[in-house]
Amino acid sequence: MSSETPFQINVPDEKLTALRATLELATFPDELEDAGWKYGPPLADMKRLAERWRNEYDWRKYEKEINEELPMFTRDIDVDGFSTLNIHYVHKKSESVDAIPLLFCHGWPGSFLEVRKILPLLTASAPEHPSFHVVALSLPGFGFSEAPRKQGFGINQYAEVAHKLMIALGYNEYVTQGGDWGGLITRKMASVYGGRHHKAWHTNFPIAEPPSWKSPLFFLSFLLTPWSAEEKAGLERTMWFRTKGRGYFTQQSTQPQTLGYSLADSPVGLLAWIYEKLVLWTDNYNWSDDEGSGDIAFPDIAHSIEIVLTWVSLYWFSRAGPAASLRIYFELRGDCEDIGQSPCIPMGASFFPKELIVLPAAWLRKSNNVVSESHHKTGGHFAATERPDELVQDVRKMFAQGSPAFAIIPGRTGYA
Amino acid sequence: MSSETPFQINIPDEKLSILRAKLELATFPDELEDIGWNHGPPLADMKRLTERWRNGYNWRKYEKELNQELPMFTRDIGVDGFGALNIHYVHKKSKTVDAIPLLFCHGWPGSFLEIRGMLSLLTASSPEHPSFHVVALSLPGFGFSEGAHKPGFALDQYAEVAHKLMIALGYNEYVTQGGDWGFLITRRMASKYGGKHHKAWHTNFPMADPPSWKSPLSFLSFLLTPWSAEEKAGLERTAWYRTKSSGYFVEQSTFPQTLAYGFTDSPVALLGWFYEKLVIWTDDHKWTDDEALTWISIYWFSRAGPGAAHRIYSEVHGDFYNLGRTSYPTIPMGASYFPKELLLLPSAWLRRLNNVVIESHHKSGGHFAAYERPEELVEDVRKMFAKGGPAFAIVPGRSGYA
Repeated sequence: MSSETPFQINVPDEKLTALRATLELATFPDELEDAGWKYGPPLADMKRLAERWRNEYDWRKYEKEINEELPMFTRDIDVDGFSTLNIHYVHKKSESVDAIPLLFCHGWPGSFLEVRKILPLLTASAPEHPSFHVVALSLPGFGFSEAPRKQGFGINQYAEVAHKLMIALGYNEYVTQGGDWGGLITRKMASVYGGRHHKAWHTNFPIAEPPSWKSPLFFLSFLLTPWSAEEKAGLERTMWFRTKGRGYFTQQSTQPQTLGYSLADSPVGLLAWIYEKLVLWTDNYNWSDDEGSGDIAFPDIAHSIEIVLTWVSLYWFSRAGPAASLRIYFELRGDCEDIGQSPCIPMGASFFPKELIVLPAAWLRKSNNVVSESHHKTGGHFAATERPDELVQDVRKMFAQGSPAFAIIPGRTGYA
Repeated sequence: MSSETPFQINIPDEKLSILRAKLELATFPDELEDIGWNHGPPLADMKRLTERWRNGYNWRKYEKELNQELPMFTRDIGVDGFGALNIHYVHKKSKTVDAIPLLFCHGWPGSFLEIRGMLSLLTASSPEHPSFHVVALSLPGFGFSEGAHKPGFALDQYAEVAHKLMIALGYNEYVTQGGDWGFLITRRMASKYGGKHHKAWHTNFPMADPPSWKSPLSFLSFLLTPWSAEEKAGLERTAWYRTKSSGYFVEQSTFPQTLAYGFTDSPVALLGWFYEKLVIWTDDHKWTDDEALTWISIYWFSRAGPGAAHRIYSEVHGDFYNLGRTSYPTIPMGASYFPKELLLLPSAWLRRLNNVVIESHHKSGGHFAAYERPEELVEDVRKMFAKGGPAFAIVPGRSGYA
């Protein structure tokens, strides 16, 4: 077992220079009149973001902030059939000695950075709520983790890396929190390592099979029960995503490298590809005001929107490059189409109305061991960034005294 | 009615410099081991093409060739609700005075370039076969045609431009040949202008709705008839296209502007997206590097910019999936089937719903038929309008014979 190496982000000067040189040459398309957001990010937004990135945005400032705020490390993890991958992760222990080990697992176009706001809340010690030792990895091919070099790195491999990291850190028993790919990967972990090591899982991306005639009573109740307003809205949002929002998914799961050439050569192209999702997948989240007070109808780009540039820079400066992060879609496409059997370990689910797939909670409960669920009135796909307090509340609730998953890890109640 | 202005491609030096400057900074992703074409064009191909484009590829040489080979013009065409758009087109008359006026309509990622292989064959005079006066336009937003400036420019508008161009050239009655978007646009023309102006249409991208239970006898025969080997292969190709090669379609139909930013900023982005299709949509066409680069340079240097052309996908989105939305055209139709086309449906489905007067089934060739198999495609078109052929003299007084 390899040892842990402290890690600080330190992008070489030459990469910063190269980025600036490419941005100096940036050229833009025209735009149809009154296009708004109908076809993608508006031209005015893109020009302002690119100009800020070229000129005032100071990567070193944010690099320093991240280094000071997030205790980061790397270590080698062996993957069966794939050799060793050097994995980058955040690791922060709570002051509560018996805190619950929790793995936070991001997705695309997310990153380890999504743990920033929830980290101090999860690790905080208090007699009123459980606390956690938090591990937030960069998935292979993302952030500063190495990427696999050959085909076939599927969901079992991602789950294996995440599990082995927790074991390597001495957390023989652990719980998880994840959304997007993090939701699917932690779900696989629950199936493979559940019970013995993986004790409970929480997700803000709860997916479920729809009722089928194979379970006649449930199917009948599905046919006969009128939808609640929340469910109707959720299904409309899901329909929007399926009809209007799947271009990136279809491209990335069929010809990822074709797109990869664009994302690797054009920072403006990468910016557009990611920024579009940061806006359309969130609940009117005001990226210009990263304190999360997002009541404004669309981000006011006149203010600082440097957090967007930091998210995108992370992909631009990632260890494996932005094209590598797309390959998960190609390799895991089958797992999306057939999610397989549900895990048995206790599950917690948070429902946010602007998530991309919002299905009736009854479908989830039917085939999962749901012990805790919350339904929120606001919030979208990037819950840890948009609604950190609510998400942490939900996780604390799941493991609180009196809750079904309390002390699920023997000797680790998480209480001060 | 505006008059015609002769046109020569003349890309400003500054644009060539900008292209070179960007190619100098080209940055590439890595690649998985032994990946081949599984995820897109291989890295070695992309690096080689980029390097050639940066250093060695001589745009001025190919620009000159096009200018000398293709008689080109521009003229303003008024489009109801959209103002006048300045349209670029090739126009070559046959020596045969009574040649048949034919409009060639390209698609995406095609262009007016695709007429090159067929132009002299179609216009050739001979007592043995009909000849044509040929018009090959650049669709609005493509090549050197102006693009629409506001939303809503859909199938009716593309058809209107093409039709009005033929009328403006004095061709009150005409026939068409088209594939890809050219199929859908000439089909719309056939519905709107068919009979009076548009007399017959030929396509190498024949699409039809499958039989539905609403026509019980046809549906029954559909269920009971075993597929031929050609039909099986066609359906497999269609399944491959739908499951492996449709990502571009979904993205372009939903967020074309998101893509436009990458295409406009990076020639490598454009190269990757387009080169992939040039290779996997053709029947093993052996592209030379310069050939592929010229094809893609047309998009890079296009009048509306490389981000404009694919807006057609989002603007026409509804029409693509619902062919029955307008009535099926009644004018005579010719269809050519090439085995590596993207959507290959049993020809019975086409015959059921269209006035198919002639069809050909080829043993080789793909999506860019005019480019890959110009002689075969010209043969098919000539047969349709030949003496004794089903559409002979469909344009009165214009048999096309010397």
